[in-house]
Amino acid sequence: MPSVIKEFTKGLWDELPPFRVVLGLCPTLAVTSTAENGLGMGAAVLFVLTLSNAIISALRKIIPGKVRIACFIVIAASLVVAVELLMQAYTYSLYQRLGIFVPLIVVNCIILGRAEAFASRNGVIPSIADGLGMGLGFTMSLTFLGALRETLGNGTVFGIPVPWEAFRPAHLMVMAPGAFICLGLILAGMNAFNRHMSRRKGEIPTEPKNAACASCAACNLCATARKEN
Amino acid sequence: MIHPIIKAMSDNPVRLVVSPPPHWRSGRTIQGMMRAHLLALVPAAIMAVAIYGVQAAAVIGMAGTAAVAAEVVCLRLQHRDVNVDNFSAFYAGVLFAFLLPATAPWWLAAIGGVVTIALGRTVFGGFGCNPVCAPLVAWAVCRFSWPDAMDIDLNLAHFMANSPVDQLKYFGVQSLSQFEYMDLLTGHQIGGLGSSQVLALAAGGVYLIASRWTRLFIPVSFLAGVAGAAALFWFIDPTAYADPIFHLLAGSTVFGAFFLATDTASSPVGRLPQTVFGLLAGTMVIVIRVYGVYPDGVPFAIMVASLLSPLLDRLRPKFFGVR
Repeated sequence: MPSVIKEFTKGLWDELPPFRVVLGLCPTLAVTSTAENGLGMGAAVLFVLTLSNAIISALRKIIPGKVRIACFIVIAASLVVAVELLMQAYTYSLYQRLGIFVPLIVVNCIILGRAEAFASRNGVIPSIADGLGMGLGFTMSLTFLGALRETLGNGTVFGIPVPWEAFRPAHLMVMAPGAFICLGLILAGMNAFNRHMSRRKGEIPTEPKNAACASCAACNLCATARKEN
Repeated sequence: MIHPIIKAMSDNPVRLVVSPPPHWRSGRTIQGMMRAHLLALVPAAIMAVAIYGVQAAAVIGMAGTAAVAAEVVCLRLQHRDVNVDNFSAFYAGVLFAFLLPATAPWWLAAIGGVVTIALGRTVFGGFGCNPVCAPLVAWAVCRFSWPDAMDIDLNLAHFMANSPVDQLKYFGVQSLSQFEYMDLLTGHQIGGLGSSQVLALAAGGVYLIASRWTRLFIPVSFLAGVAGAAALFWFIDPTAYADPIFHLLAGSTVFGAFFLATDTASSPVGRLPQTVFGLLAGTMVIVIRVYGVYPDGVPFAIMVASLLSPLLDRLRPKFFGVR
């Protein structure tokens, strides 16, 4: 049981998509112009991710290794069609606003990533916990990003105006560049917070000292990294 | 051994070798360069105050102050030496202010000044590392965020003149008979508060070229690109397109040629690359003015050309003996 709780909670902060595990950026950047859109997209991904994790881990023994990706996509696609029909039936206006990004959940990196990295190697109960945690983390992140962009760019949160008369919303924030700027600020803020926490605990920060090394992964090819080690 | 690339103001602990004397010292400093550039902007600032009143000076001061304050905060956050006394942040803020309408509210100038430094320069590594001219980044951010506060025609409607580029865009070439070329030259047109003072800016630009802070290639080829592309359209159909002299005098063409396109970090190095860069940017101005949705295409044209400058830097002579 403790391991199930651990699988569930890791998606809420330690491996929070898309801010810690920078996967699934296409819907993150594209649909989060309002908090409501972010919440709807997150809920759709939560549904698909939990069920696809459950089905894939139940079928993991009979899925042949060579065609596993195709099998994962077939399972995810069936679930996405189900979500699409449900959204058409109950939240048609949200479905129209999200547009092409609902069908695109099929090829969302988080779905495939969790299927490949977790569900195809673990039992059904941990996989469901993993999918629920990751999906909830994704939903919260998208809602937060959407609320931030909606506040700055439109002066409303979930359609309710912010209580500040003189505020002039910056329309750029609900346009495409605003998504990149907000995402970058949130990533920087989370990195700064984590570094601060690890320093308070007395751990040595894991980031390399050199600023140029932080954004580069080619350590084994690099003279600077060799010198530092 | 692979040598790391040393970028300006990066944190690389690289030791520079000091060779034994004699040394030849040019005496050129960033401080001196920025002081000369600010001096070159003074005539246009005086003209702006003469035409638009004290509010123009207030906008310039607000944007410059906000830029310097933002630079101090950014450098402190990065634990770097606070070297705002080299005027580079102030110069960037003033350049941004020159693109605003004179009636811009204080918060617009302040936000623009901060965005110039924070988003235009610091996120790319500080002074000398910006891939796109920093004041233009702030201009674009403000233009998209608050289009009504940035609109030249809307905010300056109480002045007894029209914005030539807006007239051309919305009323066609027939409406241009209201403009005398001498009036356009002396700044009697509605535009950005400093960027429409054509004669004063040209004087400042000539000073920069004469004192060798700016090389001739970018301004001349930029103006040639504007004139050439405009002449091409004009020869095709003089009743549908404005003549080249109008395009040179209207909007912020001269400001772009002497002050924005020559931004040291975002323009290429070398004669041929600089010439191609200027021609590209100048041609883009006319393309945007003819086909685009923005009346004054100068800011976007220079931003697009800046993105090509790493590519243009590869236009260089081959080493001797290399095929």
